[in-house]
Amino acid sequence: MNKRRWLIHLVLRALAHRKGRTALLLAVLAMASSLATALGIVSFSMETRVAEEVRKYGANLIIIPESARLDIGSGGLNFGVVSDPAYLRQSLVEEALVKSGLKAEVSFHLRGALHMKNTDVIAEGVNFSDIRRLFPWWQLNGNWPAVGETVVGSDLALRMKLKAGDVVEMAGVDKKIQLRISGIVSSGGEEDDLLFMALPELQQALGLEGQLTLVRLMVTAGRDSLRQSALTLQRHVPTAKVNEVRQTARTSEGLLAKVKLLMLMVTAVVLVSAGSSVAGTMSTTVLERGKEIGLMKAMGGTRWEVMLIFCGEAAMLGVLGGFAGYLFGSVIAQFITKTVFAASAEFIPWFVFVSLGVSLFLALLGSVGPMISVFRLDPVRSLRGE
Amino acid sequence: MSENIIETSGLTRNYGDICALKPLELKVPEGEWLSVMGHSGSGKSTFMNLVGGLDRPSAGSLKVGGEDLLALTEDGLARFRRKFVGIIFQQHHMVPYLTAVENVMLAQYFHSVPDEAEARSALERVGLGHRLKNRPGELSGGEQQRVCIARAIINSPKLLLGDEPTGNLDHKSTVMIMELLKELRAEERFTVIMVTHNQEVAAWGDRTIYLDDGVLVREERMGEKQ
Repeated sequence: MNKRRWLIHLVLRALAHRKGRTALLLAVLAMASSLATALGIVSFSMETRVAEEVRKYGANLIIIPESARLDIGSGGLNFGVVSDPAYLRQSLVEEALVKSGLKAEVSFHLRGALHMKNTDVIAEGVNFSDIRRLFPWWQLNGNWPAVGETVVGSDLALRMKLKAGDVVEMAGVDKKIQLRISGIVSSGGEEDDLLFMALPELQQALGLEGQLTLVRLMVTAGRDSLRQSALTLQRHVPTAKVNEVRQTARTSEGLLAKVKLLMLMVTAVVLVSAGSSVAGTMSTTVLERGKEIGLMKAMGGTRWEVMLIFCGEAAMLGVLGGFAGYLFGSVIAQFITKTVFAASAEFIPWFVFVSLGVSLFLALLGSVGPMISVFRLDPVRSLRGE
Repeated sequence: MSENIIETSGLTRNYGDICALKPLELKVPEGEWLSVMGHSGSGKSTFMNLVGGLDRPSAGSLKVGGEDLLALTEDGLARFRRKFVGIIFQQHHMVPYLTAVENVMLAQYFHSVPDEAEARSALERVGLGHRLKNRPGELSGGEQQRVCIARAIINSPKLLLGDEPTGNLDHKSTVMIMELLKELRAEERFTVIMVTHNQEVAAWGDRTIYLDDGVLVREERMGEKQ
C-alpha cells in the first residue's frame, strides 16, 4: 500500500472511530456551507430575476444623435434637454442594428414642435404598436390611434381642454394637418405633456422624412452584457451616441446589493459560529488523542507528518461537508426562491466548488489551533497522559 | 570487542530545579542487553527517553549509533527514532481504531512504506498470526504487548527500548514476552535497553545498571556483582 492510500485509510479509520464527533463536525460544516451555497444561489437567481423585472420597465438602451441635447425620458426617467436639434437617419440606424447582430425590440421616435391653437406643442412621432410593446404601463383612456388619429398626453389634454373624439388642426413647417384624438394617454412621466402621432405623419409635417431624434431599444441582456451591447452598437453608429438606461436598473441593483450585503453578513455570522464550533470540537479531539499523537511522534513521525494526518482528517471532513452542503444548499435555495420570490432557483453546478471551498476553509481554519497543539505536543509528556 | 552503540559523557537532565539525571558516563556496546533498574523517580525513564531521542539532555554529550543527538533538530530526532529505535511501552500505547496488523503498519508508514505482508509476518513471529484483524480492545495485555514488540522490530531497529514492558503482565506472560525478546534479539542482533523494577526481568540482560536519584550507583554483569 502506498503512503497516500495508507494516509487516506488512516484518516477514514480515525473518523469512523469517532462517529458521534465526526457526525457533529460534518453537520456543522454541511450546515455552514449549505447556507453559503443557498444564499449564493438565491443571489444569483435574484440577479436574473431582477434583470427580468427590469426588462418590464421597457427600453434599456437609447440612441441619440451625437450633437443633440434632447429632453427625453420615460416613466419618470430623464435623459437630457432639447437644445440643438440634431437627427439620426432611420435607414442608418436600421442598417447598424442588422450589422451589430443585436437582438432587441426597437422603437423609433421623432420629436418636434407643432403649432396648435396659437401655441406650440411638442409632438412625438412613433409607431404605436412598438409603443404598446415597450411601454405596457401607459394608461390609455380611449383607443390607440388608427391612420389620421392621435393620442394626447393627459396634462396637455387638460391644459388645452382636449378630449377623445376632438379633431385638432396643427401646423408643421410648411403643412397643416388635421388629426382626430382617439385617446388620452397617461404615463406618469413627461409623456403626459406630449402629443403622439404616427412617425411618418410627423416626419412629413416637419419636413424631416427618414429622420429620428431618438431610438429606444429593449435588449434582453444582463448588466455586463448590456454594456457590451451598447459598445457593440456604438461601433456601428459612430455619428450617434448609444446610452444605457440605467436609472431603473440602478435602483434594482441598489436594492439587490443591499439584500446581498445582508445575506453576506448573515453568512459571515454563520461561518464564524461554525468555525468556532469546528475549532472547539477539533481541540477536544486533539486533547483526547494526546497519547495517540505522542505515540506517532515516538514511532518517528515528524511534527509535520503527524500534523498531516490531522489535516487530512479536517480536509476529509471539509470535502464531505462541502458536498453535503451543496446538496442541502441547492434544496434550501429552491425553497427560498419559491416561497419568497415565487420563482425557481437556478441550477448552478459550479457552485459545488464554492460549497467545497467554504467547508474546507472552515474545517482547516477551525483546525489551526488544534494543529498547533499537535505540532507542539511533547511525545514523552503526552504518553504519560500529561 | 564490538563498537559502542551508546556513549554518554556528563549526560544530565534537569526539569527546572529538579535534576532527574546527574552527569552520567556510560558506554553500551552494540548488541548488549542492558537492564536499567531503580525505584520510581530514580531517572531510569529519563535515561531511556534521552537515548531514544524522545527527550533532550540539559548538558553533556550523547551519541547513539554514531549520531550526536544534541546536534539534531526536533524533526531530526524523529527521523533518528524511526531509523534506529524501536520502543516497547509498559502501557502498550496502541492506536485504538487500528487492527493489530494496522498498528504495525503505522510504524512502517513513518519509517518508509506500509507493507501488509511484512507486518503480518512480524505478527506471526510474535505468535499473533491468528489475531491480525483484532483491535487492541479485543486483545489481552500479553497479546497487546506482543503487537507492540512486532511494531518495535518491524523496521529492524539497532536499538530496542523497553520501558517496563512487562510491568502490567502476570508472571506467565512476563516469561513469554522475555523469551520472545531473547529469541528476536538473537535473530536481529539489536541492542536492548530494558527499564524495569523487576529483578527477575533485569536478570535477562547482559548487564544491569542501578540508578538512584539520577545517579548511577551500581553496575552488575550477568553472574557477577560490582
